[in-house]
Amino acid sequence: MKRAFGLILASTISSAAFSATDPRTVPTKLPPAWQAKTRDVFKQAIEIPSVHNRGEMPRMAKLLADQFRAAGIPEADIHVIPYEALPGDKTVALIVRWRSARPTKKPMLILGHMDVVEAKREDWKFDPFTFREEGGYFYGRGTADMKNGDVATTMAAVKLMSEGFKPSRDIIFFYSGDEETRGVGATLGAGKWRNLTDAEFGLNADDQSCGYSASFQMLGCRVGTGEKTFQTYLFTTHNPGGHSSRPRPDNAIYDLADALEKLRNHRFEPMMNETTRAYFEELAGQQGDSALGKALRRLVANPFDGVAADVIEADPLTVGATRTRCVATMLKAGHADNALPQTAQATVNCRIFPGVEPKLVQAELQQMVGPGVEVTPDPEYIGFPTPVSPIRDDVFKAFAASVRRFHGPDTHVFPYVSPGASDGSFFRAKGIPVYNVDSTWVIRPDDERSHGLDERMPVRAMYDDVLHWEFMIRSLAS
Amino acid sequence: MSPTGFPEADVHVVPYHTASATTGEDDTAALIVRWRAPGASKAQPIMLMGHMDVVEAKAEDWAGTDPFKMVEKDGYYYGRGTIDMKDGITAITQAMINLRKAGFKPKRDIVVLFTGDEETNGIGARNGASQWLDLLGHPEFGLNADGGGISVNTDGSPAGATMQTAEKTFAGYTLTVRNRGGHSSKPRKDNAIYSLAHALDKIEAYRFTPMLNETTRAYFAGRAKLEKGPLGDAMRRWLANPNDGEAADFIEASESEVGLTRTRCVPTRLFAGHADNALPQLATAMINCRIFPGIDPNATKAELERIVADPTVVVSRNDDRVASLASPLRPDVMAAFTHAVHSLHPNQPVFPEMSTGASDARPFRVAGIPVYGVNGGWTVTPIDNRAHGKDERLPVQSLYDNVVHWQLMLQDLAGK
Repeated sequence: MKRAFGLILASTISSAAFSATDPRTVPTKLPPAWQAKTRDVFKQAIEIPSVHNRGEMPRMAKLLADQFRAAGIPEADIHVIPYEALPGDKTVALIVRWRSARPTKKPMLILGHMDVVEAKREDWKFDPFTFREEGGYFYGRGTADMKNGDVATTMAAVKLMSEGFKPSRDIIFFYSGDEETRGVGATLGAGKWRNLTDAEFGLNADDQSCGYSASFQMLGCRVGTGEKTFQTYLFTTHNPGGHSSRPRPDNAIYDLADALEKLRNHRFEPMMNETTRAYFEELAGQQGDSALGKALRRLVANPFDGVAADVIEADPLTVGATRTRCVATMLKAGHADNALPQTAQATVNCRIFPGVEPKLVQAELQQMVGPGVEVTPDPEYIGFPTPVSPIRDDVFKAFAASVRRFHGPDTHVFPYVSPGASDGSFFRAKGIPVYNVDSTWVIRPDDERSHGLDERMPVRAMYDDVLHWEFMIRSLAS
Repeated sequence: MSPTGFPEADVHVVPYHTASATTGEDDTAALIVRWRAPGASKAQPIMLMGHMDVVEAKAEDWAGTDPFKMVEKDGYYYGRGTIDMKDGITAITQAMINLRKAGFKPKRDIVVLFTGDEETNGIGARNGASQWLDLLGHPEFGLNADGGGISVNTDGSPAGATMQTAEKTFAGYTLTVRNRGGHSSKPRKDNAIYSLAHALDKIEAYRFTPMLNETTRAYFAGRAKLEKGPLGDAMRRWLANPNDGEAADFIEASESEVGLTRTRCVPTRLFAGHADNALPQLATAMINCRIFPGIDPNATKAELERIVADPTVVVSRNDDRVASLASPLRPDVMAAFTHAVHSLHPNQPVFPEMSTGASDARPFRVAGIPVYGVNGGWTVTPIDNRAHGKDERLPVQSLYDNVVHWQLMLQDLAGK
């Protein structure tokens, strides 16, 4: 998912009803023939390096479109639409409409994105664009973000069609080609291409909804209903430079390093809204007398208890939940090894608490670093706050029923606001509520590798996700 | 060929390949020109050295002038290479043409070596000191236009003319921090960029131990005579007591003497991260060191490791250069240089210097061929010290004086 990854849904289920079975060893119920088909398409998808600017998106769109074609979707309902994302990045979106013969409800939208974040061979243990299965996992860039969701939603539809399922509403599949960079596809999808995408609501296959602890306790499954605002800022320092054999007392790189030390130590003011309060209350109950549990209770009782908020924020289970967060993600500086740098620039990625204006965050950062460092929003993407979607009973019930088939009847299901942003925010902003309801699960925190090294997905989670989307479509479109 | 031209057989454009891990690959060329002495000369040739490449310059960084369009303004030529060092190669070339036209007959061969990658990898000079030595006629010594020169204070008073006889060792290092990375919406406690920034803060605060050698001792003795104020006092105090670190720090902090009292290391480039929405898996900083002559670059690597004091920050070398060596003072070269300087700048004192920058001289000195930086251009210090930087410039008169300077040098050293 774009710029986003969920905050971990933590909850320890105290019930002794679950023995701690390794969830990776439980066999999937997806029939072997469908496992083989899913694996084949997933392998092809992973091995297309659909990183921005590489021109690979048409191949990715064709791979998915071919599955719908083979299953009987007429050509007139398959649209591969070219568009430009980052300047010069020629990409495409895929829109497929599975028509209902006699629709009784407004259409339903299923969202995904076909692009992946850059991955470099030298950083990984294996080639990120060679599909591998090893030790109960599928490995490769996009195995978790989010070719898993693309393939699971596509294969679920193909399987349903092969079984003769007739939907009671049109189902629109929308796969964008630049979610990880600019979100132009989602902007167009929610705007200019609305005649192809208009729907009562959307289901987003981005993000992992469910998690297990390292000791195999089920941590619950969440339905994403809203997102923090994504905004990248650039910290830039300038200097006259000169010959590196004659160092000046001032140096653009040192000035930037000082600003980064300030950023590392800076803490935004903790904040709470109704969704996060409900989440903290529930989590507090589950956490018992752990340090996190105590801090959660203190914060719920007194939202101004900054010490408690800091404890919560520092916990990997809840990082990003209590406030705006900004982190340095990229650096570039200098123009020659033997010349003092004339400019140095850090990319600082912020996830802004819902409702806070990005301009206020910019002002706070500027005040923190002082006048010697320029703080500017990334001109490539200007973030905007988006609404939280109202809870829909039909979506929540279908989701809860589906995930409980895989993880047990007591599996907790939560609404939650994601610390990141995905394509869903563009549709929410334009009046289509969107729910992040993919079912894939990971062992936290070891499998949380979206955008990172050696990205992977448990084999069973991938196969079960086809069954999950089959169930979601049957539940919401019949 | 005009009657005064050099024969084609003595003009060689030698293509060569240059590459390094940090600067990438390039196909470049060296120019070798042999001016043969009539008859059989017993003396080995004198080599005249320079380089034809310049450091990158971006128009958007410069104040209004395109770095690659020469602009004459307020008594200056502006443009990339005006002082480093298209002035020097132009002066040598024009001096040779002028002398040849005037009927000058050298008593020994003069050979020109202009390289094409001094600012990056120095492969041209390395080739010159090895595989091209036959083509160069095994020169006895080199005169390098990329070293030495004349400084004038802003009030017009003389700041000294220097002959470069030693240079610091140029050595590149990389600081590398790796991290598991992850999604930027969930910041980790450890972050490759923050670790790198912390290491850079430590390098910023660190001061290497001050050192003196024979060249710098002579240089500061000469400079001390010109400096009446607190800078001169610090030089005198330091020469009297080499353990006076405070005096050395004061000298090092002055714009005109920076880099002369010790090893200096400074970060020049940063690279980190792979996407704005992903925590960095890799963060690197290029550290450019100018190491005091005689110090092994591997010892400097160990010192950087001690400064950073963080095992997650890995220090590695970018090259395999060895410690540079000083050239012995040659009375004939010193006399010729002094004569040329005093012909145009009678009040300028002349003394040897150690250069803080690296030049093509290094591999020749290591191969046993002494090299002397004896350029005759002049600049106003410190305001014209803009080599590699923005708005590089050269006083117009300096260019013309430099041609005369090289003619005098050649007449003295190859005409007698």
